Amino acid sequence: MSVPFEHCIRCTLCVENCPVFKVNEHYPGPKQAGPDAERFRLDGQKIDEAWIKYCTQCHRCQTACPYGVDPAQIIRRAQLAYGRTHRRSFSAVLFANNYYLGLIGSTLAPIFNRVSRLGLVRRLMQALGISKYLPFPSFYLHSLRISRKHAGQGRRKVAFFYGCFLNYNQPQLGRVMRDFLVSTGLEVVLPPQVCCGLPALGNGDLKTALRFAKKNAKVLGRYIEQGYDVVYACTSCGHTLTHDYPGVLGLEKGELISRHSFHLAEYLLTMIDEDRWKGSFGSLRKRIAYHIPCHLRASGNGYPTARLLEKIPGLDCRIFDEHCCELAGSYGFKQANEETSISLGKIAGDALLSFEPDFIVSDCGACRMQLEHFAGIPALDPLEILLKSLAAGPASTQLVNASTIRRGSRGNTGNRGNRDGANRHIEGYKGGANQQPGGRSTGGRS
Amino acid sequence: MHTDYEVIVIGGGMSGLTAAITLADRGKQVALLSKGDPVCCLSTGCIDVLSAEKKPLQAIAGLPYRHPYHLVTRETILAALQQFKQNVNQSGLPYSGDPERNRTILTAIGTDRTTCLVPETMEQAACDTENTIHVVSFKRLLDFYPSYISAGRPGTAVSTYEDGATSTLGLATQFNSRNFTEKFLAWLQGRPITQDKVAFPAVLGSISPGKVAAEIEALVKRPVFEIPTLPPSIPGQRLFRALKQSARRKGVHLYWGATVAEIKQGATRVEALALSNGARKTWLQVEAVILATGSFVSGGLSLSRTSVEEDVFHLPTYLPGKRDNWFNEDFFERGHPLEKAGIEVDSSFRPLGSSLENIFVCGSILAYSETNKYQCGHGLAIITGFAAAASCAGTL
Repeated sequence: MSVPFEHCIRCTLCVENCPVFKVNEHYPGPKQAGPDAERFRLDGQKIDEAWIKYCTQCHRCQTACPYGVDPAQIIRRAQLAYGRTHRRSFSAVLFANNYYLGLIGSTLAPIFNRVSRLGLVRRLMQALGISKYLPFPSFYLHSLRISRKHAGQGRRKVAFFYGCFLNYNQPQLGRVMRDFLVSTGLEVVLPPQVCCGLPALGNGDLKTALRFAKKNAKVLGRYIEQGYDVVYACTSCGHTLTHDYPGVLGLEKGELISRHSFHLAEYLLTMIDEDRWKGSFGSLRKRIAYHIPCHLRASGNGYPTARLLEKIPGLDCRIFDEHCCELAGSYGFKQANEETSISLGKIAGDALLSFEPDFIVSDCGACRMQLEHFAGIPALDPLEILLKSLAAGPASTQLVNASTIRRGSRGNTGNRGNRDGANRHIEGYKGGANQQPGGRSTGGRS
Repeated sequence: MHTDYEVIVIGGGMSGLTAAITLADRGKQVALLSKGDPVCCLSTGCIDVLSAEKKPLQAIAGLPYRHPYHLVTRETILAALQQFKQNVNQSGLPYSGDPERNRTILTAIGTDRTTCLVPETMEQAACDTENTIHVVSFKRLLDFYPSYISAGRPGTAVSTYEDGATSTLGLATQFNSRNFTEKFLAWLQGRPITQDKVAFPAVLGSISPGKVAAEIEALVKRPVFEIPTLPPSIPGQRLFRALKQSARRKGVHLYWGATVAEIKQGATRVEALALSNGARKTWLQVEAVILATGSFVSGGLSLSRTSVEEDVFHLPTYLPGKRDNWFNEDFFERGHPLEKAGIEVDSSFRPLGSSLENIFVCGSILAYSETNKYQCGHGLAIITGFAAAASCAGTL
């Protein structure tokens, strides 16, 4: 979609929309780091390499540009070129391989969760360039990777691309999503999958990103050819599947995957439109501040989740899309970005609080983690709200009993909220993003 | 996914947002598509109705007979501007001003600029030669030079705050926080200010500039106002955000970063538009379309050496003769004939010469609007956006 950088007329609309530029004076903004610097890069001239490291790839510059230039993409390519020729920092290598971190974390969950919170370990991590303002998310032994892979029967079949966050950090929510999809009359598989590749891209590691992406593309492509639709819940994974697989990663199956991948909410809306599913939503008298993840914003497809939430009677939902939460995947976990991440996280959190909501809602696990931390109120996945409403609705099913989902949260360690008899496991599902196995210790504003 | 909207507005600038709000006010299901952020973000945030003249409402009669202002009545103009004021006010960004009579604001180079409606932080920005001004500047701010102002206006004093960000955007972000504002106020309190008015570059916060200005006013006990700066322009951005907020409040579905990838049309009607999400298309069914994609700068029109194209529906366009006639000799002369290029419409804002009956056109894409020559950009956008939407609503 994007046009060559020469189309940039230097109007600064991208700069106006850049979160990092607002608070970090070292970053000259997407115009200068993107199209402006590109003239020099193409000439083989040296430009300040630090610039490209400040970019979080939130794509706000891209959605702002009225001329179709994509500064984020230009910067992305510069980041990858830089990554090819430079030694990467410990934190960059670690987060590029986030998938393996999750694999180890979940395999050794009880130990890993304790160890990662020890003061000494945290200081060590800090010394290695890892920020500690936000606690490491908890891992769970019973990850989605080892959950039931095939459920339901239906004419329509979906392959659920759950992504790393649900897999390792909120697997119970992932299982609820799977079961919920089944309850709508779909046949659901959890295909074998690895990280979508975005963390590797974000850390300048094209090789790793391609390795992950090719693995996924092979599997997803096969499912699509067998008539499955791909459904994703994480908007960053989704953006990577639909935009980066055919785009910067240039995968052979990229176009195919892009055409057949749907955000969960979008998929539900389609089913409602086509009369394949009746969302009989019950009344829910709550105030919701719905934070739009940047990667959903960048998809150019509107906000399907918002349209779904609109259907819930009594729900007072306000959309907030002016701010990036600024955790930006692993960006905020790096010491070098800590200050930027904290200032912008506070700004985003304050904006949400101005609405005095009961809950924050966001489609992205990382956004939820960051916003819950700074706003100090629960940040939920939209599905948790939908389920609450469906449970109160006229056709409430046993399966989607939302009250159980929320039970056991907010520092209540007694109730494990374990609803899935077939999948009994040791971790309790806790709504929200920042729950600690040993009670809630991350709330409050800092 | 297919969705039904009664109206899809294409273009997220002043005219598109106004049209979307007007339709939502009339109970229509509206979606607004925008490729990117509008050029109004780069503007001063002031609304020019017809700034080439002193009395805009009266002077409209004297415009060339094809100017789009002649498509609307005086009542429509007043109603459109009234609705605009109401909407921005509800978003916390009150505007004042009267289309009967223009006013002036002080510019960053110390000259007067004529305009019509201004945000509350520029209400005091009209400075006759009698008024002396105290300009407060920020040492590290790169895009504001108070010496231009003091050079042209004897009696001007300048105070410089040592702290603060290097960009207008950075400063506005800082003024959103209590911490910074209080530190700044404490510094300001110690300044000896004897001039009649106190002026700031327009950076007094992006959220509630009126409150910050009022606090300063209470402290210095003098009228306080903002001076628009080079882009990124904070007042332009505030204006855009206020209207966007208003549209959202009224239930308009906003699709940002969205381009029309494909169009389904019958003999006389546009039936559906497709957005692209990666390689997939999402179809939106529609009963009527408002085209508010702007002129050349906004990307609604594109120019080749021989023709001008409307980029979405390829509607017939008006071009003032051959290439030789497009430009004046002097580049800086206002009113190059090319400015007249655009879409010609009938009295209901439907495009002339097109078989499509459910398209309505508004804003600077309209032929003969010459927004630069007559300095009527935002005003024309608001007024024709309102009128085209009303006309469209009447057909549904």
